[in-house]
Amino acid sequence: MNKFLFELGLEEIPADMIPKALDQMCDSCERLLGESQINFEGLQRFASPRRLVLRLEGLPDGQAEREEVVLGPSQSVAYDQDKKPTRALEGFARKGGLAVADIEVVDTAKGAYVSYRKTIPGRPLVEILQEILPKVLVSISWPKNMVWQESRFRFIRPLRWYLALLNNEMLPFEFQGIQANNVTRGHRFLGQAIIQVQEVDHYLDRLRENYVLVDPEERKAKITSEIEQVAPDQLHALPDPDLVGMVVYLNEYPTVICGGFDPKFLKLPQAVLVTVMRHHQKYFSVVDESDEIQPYFLTVVNTHGDPDGKIRKGHEKVLKARLEDSAFFWKADRKETLKDRVERLNHVVFQEALGTYHAKITRIRKLCVHLEKNEHLDTAALLCKSDLTTDMVREFPELQGTMGGLYAHDEGYPDEVCQAISEHYKPVFLGDESPSSRLGALLSVADKLDTIVGCFAIGIVPTGSSDPFALRRQAQGLVKVLFDLKLDWSPRWLVDLALKNFPKELKGQEITGTVTDFLEGRIRHIFQEKEVAYDVLNAVLAVDIQSVNDAFRRAQALAEIRSQPDFEALAIAYKRTKNILAKQSIELSAVQEDALADPEERSLFDAYRKIRPEVEHSVHEGDYAAALRMIAGLRETVDPFFDKVLVMTDDETLRNNRLRLLHDISQLFLSIADISEIVRERDEHYE
Amino acid sequence: MTTFQQIIHCLQEYWMDYGCIIQQPYDVEVGAGTMHPETFFRVLGSQPYKVAYVQPSRRPTDGRYGENPNRVYRHYQLQVILKPPPDDVQEIYLESLRKIGIPLEEHDLRFEEDNWEAPTLGAWGIGWQVLLDGMEVTQFTYFQQAGGLDLMPISAEITYGLERIATFITDTSSVFDLPWNKELTYGGVKRHEEVEFSKYNFEVADTDLLFQLFDLYEGESYRCLDADCILPAYDYCLKCSHTFNLLDSRGAISVTQRVGIIARVRSLSVKIARHYVEKYEQVPV
Repeated sequence: MNKFLFELGLEEIPADMIPKALDQMCDSCERLLGESQINFEGLQRFASPRRLVLRLEGLPDGQAEREEVVLGPSQSVAYDQDKKPTRALEGFARKGGLAVADIEVVDTAKGAYVSYRKTIPGRPLVEILQEILPKVLVSISWPKNMVWQESRFRFIRPLRWYLALLNNEMLPFEFQGIQANNVTRGHRFLGQAIIQVQEVDHYLDRLRENYVLVDPEERKAKITSEIEQVAPDQLHALPDPDLVGMVVYLNEYPTVICGGFDPKFLKLPQAVLVTVMRHHQKYFSVVDESDEIQPYFLTVVNTHGDPDGKIRKGHEKVLKARLEDSAFFWKADRKETLKDRVERLNHVVFQEALGTYHAKITRIRKLCVHLEKNEHLDTAALLCKSDLTTDMVREFPELQGTMGGLYAHDEGYPDEVCQAISEHYKPVFLGDESPSSRLGALLSVADKLDTIVGCFAIGIVPTGSSDPFALRRQAQGLVKVLFDLKLDWSPRWLVDLALKNFPKELKGQEITGTVTDFLEGRIRHIFQEKEVAYDVLNAVLAVDIQSVNDAFRRAQALAEIRSQPDFEALAIAYKRTKNILAKQSIELSAVQEDALADPEERSLFDAYRKIRPEVEHSVHEGDYAAALRMIAGLRETVDPFFDKVLVMTDDETLRNNRLRLLHDISQLFLSIADISEIVRERDEHYE
Repeated sequence: MTTFQQIIHCLQEYWMDYGCIIQQPYDVEVGAGTMHPETFFRVLGSQPYKVAYVQPSRRPTDGRYGENPNRVYRHYQLQVILKPPPDDVQEIYLESLRKIGIPLEEHDLRFEEDNWEAPTLGAWGIGWQVLLDGMEVTQFTYFQQAGGLDLMPISAEITYGLERIATFITDTSSVFDLPWNKELTYGGVKRHEEVEFSKYNFEVADTDLLFQLFDLYEGESYRCLDADCILPAYDYCLKCSHTFNLLDSRGAISVTQRVGIIARVRSLSVKIARHYVEKYEQVPV
């Protein structure tokens, strides 16, 4: 069995693109080997900023030998009436280099044919690897490519070398003017420029000797353990898994060092300090046990150490300049109040057709009045976008909202106002939390609703591939906030409310339905995450949604009762009812008691009349489980009804009366959910 | 003692020895070395070219009245264009850092993704910022387009931030303490300029006049183009760009206007580039 190692050497690849590219490279290698009938036992992958590496183990020497049946003419053509070989057969045998005697007859779907077996030798591994490696390289798709040479070949950064080793031998191949070799390169400054690798198994060690830890896991382990070691006593780094993931791919030989900054900068808000360190410098902040920020930072450097503190001093100097700048922004920004900045929003465009941010906050304020009459909410709505005009947010866009809250606090606004401003973008990303305060949530709802409805109104609708305003994420956030804070407005009402803020000419067509459907899609998504079964979801969403939480309570009640035997039978009965009613278009009058001819329909009517007010009451109270239990109780009378009573009788009076009864009962169901969507447990197996 | 001017001298010598033409700064206000005609025009077309020069670069919004130790209104760039880039272009660049006295094996140096774009020039490229102990000392770019035209051969652009490199080498904490030569500091030479221009850019500049000037420069540029005077047209295009920067630092340009003005300068530079290629591409340099 053979081992193969391939290292693609490049100029520095953007860190965030490395993991995906590495996977693509390895996946396509695996696929192409598979297509060439080459199996292997193990595939390992490594990467650093300058290299993508794959290592295969347990490779055969080549493809297995295979046998192929070569078909000739049909039996009737190959032999004449006397069963003597014809010239056609002789020709066929000659072509295969065989005697006529070696030819055999086989039965095929089309009849009997003459044939012979041919052994096809497998192609050697070397040849196959040479053939697929260029294809492997081309298969990597990068987010942004470049050209650098006459061939105009496009790749993420210039290709510089290939190391290709089969066991202990170089595997020759050429691609884009570069010859593969058995040579790799060490760390840019600490290692040798040219390193010969004699055997596949020597590779990792040879690189390690030259200060390249090519295994990302090894680098990550080194970084995480050093982060703990080098933090000052009693202090620790603010956990930041995303940042760890990033620095792993920025270094070939990572070492963590600790630096400090002048405590005078601790006067800056903690959010600003953390962002300054993270955003530009990729430093970890250091906090004490109560998560208070301390005047230190941890940085991951691309070298083996910093014996005389030169590197640390360099980083400290850079951070000082950054903090100096932020302090300048913090000071300069506060010379103008958030309220004065509101006017400036007249010059900041939100969306060309939807106007400026000033127009947006005007709409948000109108919305907020309908959500809750609250002076603080109105103030927060007025000021929530002012920080977009500050230098701090221009420099660190991720601080939008946060800065508004901080500046509002500095100007002495009540805490509710500051918190609402600060939280109103939340949830910012998938998995982020909703605002924790009620006013923050209301402002978040108004802002997102305005964006979604406005964009739909001017025809910006997310498609599979394009969603420039991130409307899906906005809608997801909106629904999540409604759900988490139990804000009981119906999506339809909210959409209509937001639509009133846009001039008629903007709305090309009736879009309430489109937007509510879009929101419903997001509700569906959130419920699925909460493991609501899809049929329950369909049943609940088939009736008008009162509010996200109300729909969820219905779903819970339905999920609870669905497994009971009474309910299952009832669902079937309801489906029947629905089918019958679907075919009727006649106007129905009220049920006439004296026209209830059969005892079965009489008892169904009595049962219905008895539970109706109770069901309505329970539904009104939101106790859907109780309502459903009562409806399920109808089963005792429904089953005999369908067994004994002929609904579609020729007698029109009787027929209409029965249809009316069924209709009334189905309305009772529909006040909760359309249970005809519920799939019976048995059916489900066949889905 | 190492001085600012020694570092510049040393880098110029390095690139001269490498075979570059050593050019002089351009005499029209520019925001970056890229806008020097020796970059903007030379990267177009098929002729190989190697050039290096210092370019004082004006960025009105970066002015801090001489008070911020690391930001100045007018800083110095050393710009190198290698067309086409050699295969070991990164190593050649790194060697220049050793040459000016930076022992790289004792420092933390990284190439971090930073794709450069100059919308007013219709130019963009792919590359990195080079971080030395966390400080961005160089912008390294493989030009892909200039004047809206696809480039071939590609040019590598290496732009050193001279103040940053010099404060790094001389271990000074403020750019104003940087020794320019043995007698004078950077602050001694430049502080008045920083204070006065910051005041002018942020407080004094007459925005009505600047808007008028912008229109006038733009008109003159088109007139030059019509008269087949491409290089003069480019001068006026640069003046438009600088005027726009001044207006920007006065906070006189709204976001909407900004898009429109950038588009105007861009369409000018795109036309200039196209004319230049049509006129000179067949003529060997």
